Amino acid sequence: MSKLLRRLRYWLHRDRMDAELAEEMEYHRSMIVGDGRLHAEMGNSTLSREDAREVWIWPWLESFSQDAAYALRTMRREPGFTVVALLALGSAIGLNTSLFTIFNAIALRPWAVRDVAQVVNVNRFSPQGGGDFSIAEYRYLAQQSHSFNGMIAMQNGERVKLDERPMQLTYVSGNYFRVLGIGMERGRGFLDEEDVPDAPVPVAVISHQLWQNYFGADPQMVGRTIRMDDQPFTVVGVASEDFTGTNSLRNDIWAPLAAKKRLRPSDPSVQAWLTAPDFCCTPMAGRLNAGVTRVHAQAELEVLINQFRDYHHIRKEHTQIVLAGTSWIETPRKKKQVVPLILTMFLAVTLVLMLACANVGNLLLARAAARCQEMAVRLSLGSSRARLIRQLLVESMLLAVAAAAIGLAVALVVPSTLLHRLAQDQAWRAVLNWKVLAYTIGVAVVSCLAFGLAPALHGTKDAISAALKAGGSVDGVSGQRLKLRSVLLSVQVATSVILLATAGVLVRGMQRTQNLDSGYDVANVNVLTIDLPASQYTGPRTRALTRDLMAQLELVQGLPPVGLALNAPLSNSKYSTSFRPTDEPNSRMLQIYVNDISPGYAAAVGMRLVAGRNFSAEDSGRDVLMINEAAARRWWPGESPVGKTVLTNNKMCQIVGILSDTYANDLSAIEAVIYLPITGQRGAPAIVVHDRSTGTVNRIATIVKQLEPRAEVRAESLAASFARQLQPSIYGSEIAGFLGLLALAIASVGMYGVFAYVVGQRTREIGVRMALGARPAQIAWLVLGSSARALGAGLIFGVAGAAAVATLLAHAMPGIQTQDPLAYVAVILLLTAAVALASAFPARRATRIDPVRALRWE
Amino acid sequence: MGTHKPLDLLPGTLDLLILKALAAGKMHGYGIAQMLKATSDDVLEVGESSLYPALQRLLLNGSVVAEWGASENNRRARYYTLTPLGRKQLAAERADFERMITAIQRVLLAN
Repeated sequence: MSKLLRRLRYWLHRDRMDAELAEEMEYHRSMIVGDGRLHAEMGNSTLSREDAREVWIWPWLESFSQDAAYALRTMRREPGFTVVALLALGSAIGLNTSLFTIFNAIALRPWAVRDVAQVVNVNRFSPQGGGDFSIAEYRYLAQQSHSFNGMIAMQNGERVKLDERPMQLTYVSGNYFRVLGIGMERGRGFLDEEDVPDAPVPVAVISHQLWQNYFGADPQMVGRTIRMDDQPFTVVGVASEDFTGTNSLRNDIWAPLAAKKRLRPSDPSVQAWLTAPDFCCTPMAGRLNAGVTRVHAQAELEVLINQFRDYHHIRKEHTQIVLAGTSWIETPRKKKQVVPLILTMFLAVTLVLMLACANVGNLLLARAAARCQEMAVRLSLGSSRARLIRQLLVESMLLAVAAAAIGLAVALVVPSTLLHRLAQDQAWRAVLNWKVLAYTIGVAVVSCLAFGLAPALHGTKDAISAALKAGGSVDGVSGQRLKLRSVLLSVQVATSVILLATAGVLVRGMQRTQNLDSGYDVANVNVLTIDLPASQYTGPRTRALTRDLMAQLELVQGLPPVGLALNAPLSNSKYSTSFRPTDEPNSRMLQIYVNDISPGYAAAVGMRLVAGRNFSAEDSGRDVLMINEAAARRWWPGESPVGKTVLTNNKMCQIVGILSDTYANDLSAIEAVIYLPITGQRGAPAIVVHDRSTGTVNRIATIVKQLEPRAEVRAESLAASFARQLQPSIYGSEIAGFLGLLALAIASVGMYGVFAYVVGQRTREIGVRMALGARPAQIAWLVLGSSARALGAGLIFGVAGAAAVATLLAHAMPGIQTQDPLAYVAVILLLTAAVALASAFPARRATRIDPVRALRWE
Repeated sequence: MGTHKPLDLLPGTLDLLILKALAAGKMHGYGIAQMLKATSDDVLEVGESSLYPALQRLLLNGSVVAEWGASENNRRARYYTLTPLGRKQLAAERADFERMITAIQRVLLAN
């Protein structure tokens, strides 16, 4: 048994061990008394026992507590240093932990299902870019595959109105809850027989959150009937609290795939979605059988997919299947998309941490120099250098631990606030778990070593020389320390340049985005939403309202350009439909965004007719459509699409016109869109009008009220929707700007510390120079000049680094203009100003040094 | 001899003496003190303030092990036994000590 184990055993049984020792010594005493020799030698028994017990305690554990107590005293004695160091480190660690918490919440969290290690997402890649599966294909694969214990399909993100409130619905296969093993708070999941396309059953499972917040945790929830888009559904279960769904969206309600027929009774494309063999885009996942490897399952699926395509005479294509884990980061497509972005952000916060470490390291270095005499004395008194280094490291560690505590406090507040504000429709929950804790501790330890070790080594080395010189001046040995300090200073300047320049580029990029041409006349358009009593408004009524409204708006004299649309511009609501150009016989059925519009819509929102003709009032109900320029470019490059026919929603339609491009749903990209004449079939329309006066709003509201007294009309300017779309990017640039300013603040404090130290160290030299008649400007230059090279090098490295970051940024945020010389020039000027400011006070102090007193100092 | 007051031990020799005492067989703490006193004609008197830390140190180093047993007067006492490691340590320390004593003697006898 080794010594360590014996110590450990003692530690584990220390109470019994102590009792045994006491008993043994008591016996000893009683024997002496028995011998009748009460002796002076019988001293303090407690003290003797303490001595005996201490043998077991690690010597360094004891001196550690001494070091810690000493360090605490030092920190209290220099509150300025402590506060600055803690603020810099605490905010840097807080940033790191916050980002990691968000990253952990978004990307690292696997699905909350039973035995998640066996569950895989099925990703499909083909030369056309892939895109998931048809439901018919899913059913075939689920039936034929032997690799899986069960396969599930899900269709995310359908927006429905629960009574009046918008909710997010996810369609899932009937075996979803059973195969994934999802815990239920109440009731049950779906049954296979509830997901049969020919016999749809209107059942639903609701989320724990919805149950709590909307239904007031009704104990009678199971069996209750809810109305979604005015269709009755029976609630069969409430999911457990930890289950938030199998996508990144907020999932309020789940329904079987087949139940879409009940929810969208008038939409003929639902049947095709449920049964057509090549109707794309339903994500699929599965639970692997024990012992089946991913590679094996992938190969099996590829074979089965080809069989399926052969059977249904679908053109063969090379399909590749990739099975991946369920957390977001493991999804191959997301990986490619988010990794550069995440890297950029981690780089940014790591830079801030580096900056803070360099800063605190520099302050510690300056302090170590001031404590050189103290170190020298302790070395002479027999302390080992290792002991001194340890003591300095304990001081750094205390700082790091306190900073980590601050960081955790920050991470408790910031990430959940940010996620709450930025991602209301997502299921992301920021939690502090062991991963976050481990990350914080790791960051703290690394930073502690980063800022503490070098100053400790250097400080004690100087002290040795000083001790050897028996209390002599330390001027001769400060060269190396100066070098380290210059390096640290350069690092500070370089990192703050990188952060500031990147922030500048982002902020200015944002300003440009705000001037982005969305394709609409944003400044002059109002959007009027009509809220109807949904329970009475089904297809026929919205159709009648749309027809009457269109006629009335036409009749009323003196209105500005006004039109109707199913989806208002930039409203974030999307409808898509099937689409296939008929002049390409073998092409695959595709999903394309669709909007229903009235003849007046284009003029009202400021879109141009590029070719062909606009819709007319007679087009309503005819098989005609318009497309945007993006669609024209994609399918008919170099030729005119006007007059061509396409198959959409199982109907042959003729293209009559081309409208100019717009950002249809959000500002991420211009996508191909088709426009159909509005009928009102799919819901109540929104009204767009090319005038923002309240008079016009009121006139239109009156018209609506005349047609339907119970309707409520809400008006919002298109500019407001536009601003809401920009909000995430605005937050993004605000965060970048904040990081930049934080970097500048930390760096300024650090530089101030360095200059102040230089003045303190060179008091005597400055005194001599003053006595010899140096002018104040020369003295100021002496102070600044001592660090000029370090500052210059920092600026150069910083600009180079910022250019490198800009390249990375260009990948992470396409569309942001990263070549921005003006931002760089501004940053360099800003930093120069900061340097001037940071050196101003110490320089002033230097010029006021009294030569006589300075010379008498030693 | 009796008029002399008990001597302080040379530093580092207490462990050696305890090991030597235990070489004869297992013994409790008080017994060790008694034996050292008796065999040194009352010159070496080891108090508990030095004996027990030394015993704990030997336990920690694995030179001795302890077990509870009944004493001569039928009370519970902790008995110490040498381990093989302790035996080796005794031999080594003894050799060192003898070299040291010889050396000191030589110095003292030199003229």
